[in-house]
Amino acid sequence: MQISPDLIKGITIALGAIGPAIGLGLVGAAAVNSVGRNPDAQSKVLTMALIMAGLVDAVMVFVLLIVFSVK
Amino acid sequence: MQSFVAETSVPLAAEPIFHIGSFGVTNSMLAGIVIVAIITLVFSVAAAKSRIRPESKLAYFVENLTEFILSSITGNFGGDEGKARRFLSLFLGLFVFILLNNLFGLLPGMGGSVYVESGGVREALLRPFTTDLNGTVALALISIGTVQYYGIKERGLFSHVRHYFSITTPWWNPMNFLLGPIEILSEIVRLLTLAMRLFGVIYAGEVLIHVIGSLTGNFAWAGTVPAILLEVFFSFIQAYLFIMLSSVYLAIGTTKDDHGSELQSSAKAKRAGASELVSSSV
Repeated sequence: MQISPDLIKGITIALGAIGPAIGLGLVGAAAVNSVGRNPDAQSKVLTMALIMAGLVDAVMVFVLLIVFSVK
Repeated sequence: MQSFVAETSVPLAAEPIFHIGSFGVTNSMLAGIVIVAIITLVFSVAAAKSRIRPESKLAYFVENLTEFILSSITGNFGGDEGKARRFLSLFLGLFVFILLNNLFGLLPGMGGSVYVESGGVREALLRPFTTDLNGTVALALISIGTVQYYGIKERGLFSHVRHYFSITTPWWNPMNFLLGPIEILSEIVRLLTLAMRLFGVIYAGEVLIHVIGSLTGNFAWAGTVPAILLEVFFSFIQAYLFIMLSSVYLAIGTTKDDHGSELQSSAKAKRAGASELVSSSV
């Protein structure tokens, strides 16, 4: 029995996408929540949320990098 | 076995275009030099045209950009604008250089369509500096090196090193000797994550555009538009994130441990918030 590397790559991407997806959801939920509580702070909250989204995305990117670099 | 299109069209390493002695000049270095020339030209023209009452649109735009960066990093330095102005040139330079490189990669002719052939292998003539891991490690080394240099300069070598070994309050607590090496390791991890994040996001974006282009076939002109717009967004976010994180590291690395007025304690509380941002990023 042999396992195709494509399957491994697919599973790696699928599993690696779960965490960042949850993280992005949490960031978005928290941002919307805090703007709802305090609409005046929208621009500040938006900047913070975008920074956090960038940080969370990096995790997904590490997964992609590993997938691309493994032959 | 059919492999991903990315492995053939966007190689992980930058390829040397020509050699000076044994030193290979890669396509990413060429693009970096082009960007540096553009930045130097634009900023010197804007500096020459800058007036108190704005006359040229270019100078007005560059002034606004400078003030945006200044106000962003002033917040990270605990509202100390003098300190932020000292490091403004570094962070403005980093921001503009990273941003222009990221956007440069989205222009036509960048993804290997303008190429040189060497040994039967097509090599892209220009490749954005930030899609080369050597380049992003160099940028991260500049920012972390600045943190270390000014940390030693402002605190002194002994108290800078002592800072790593004084996490828990009584200095003789043996936990300090265990936590110290971890703190020093975290400094290296910061360097790695700064470099890997920038490289990964921009490189993965290039690959994403290639994959979508090959999936959509004849309709690549329409299919890649959303991906390119997403990449424009990520270019801004990553450039901004890089300087924000670097300035937070610099603000943490150059604080002195003197307990005093209420102003300082409020600045400290702000820095504690900043360090939370950092620890979450690591």
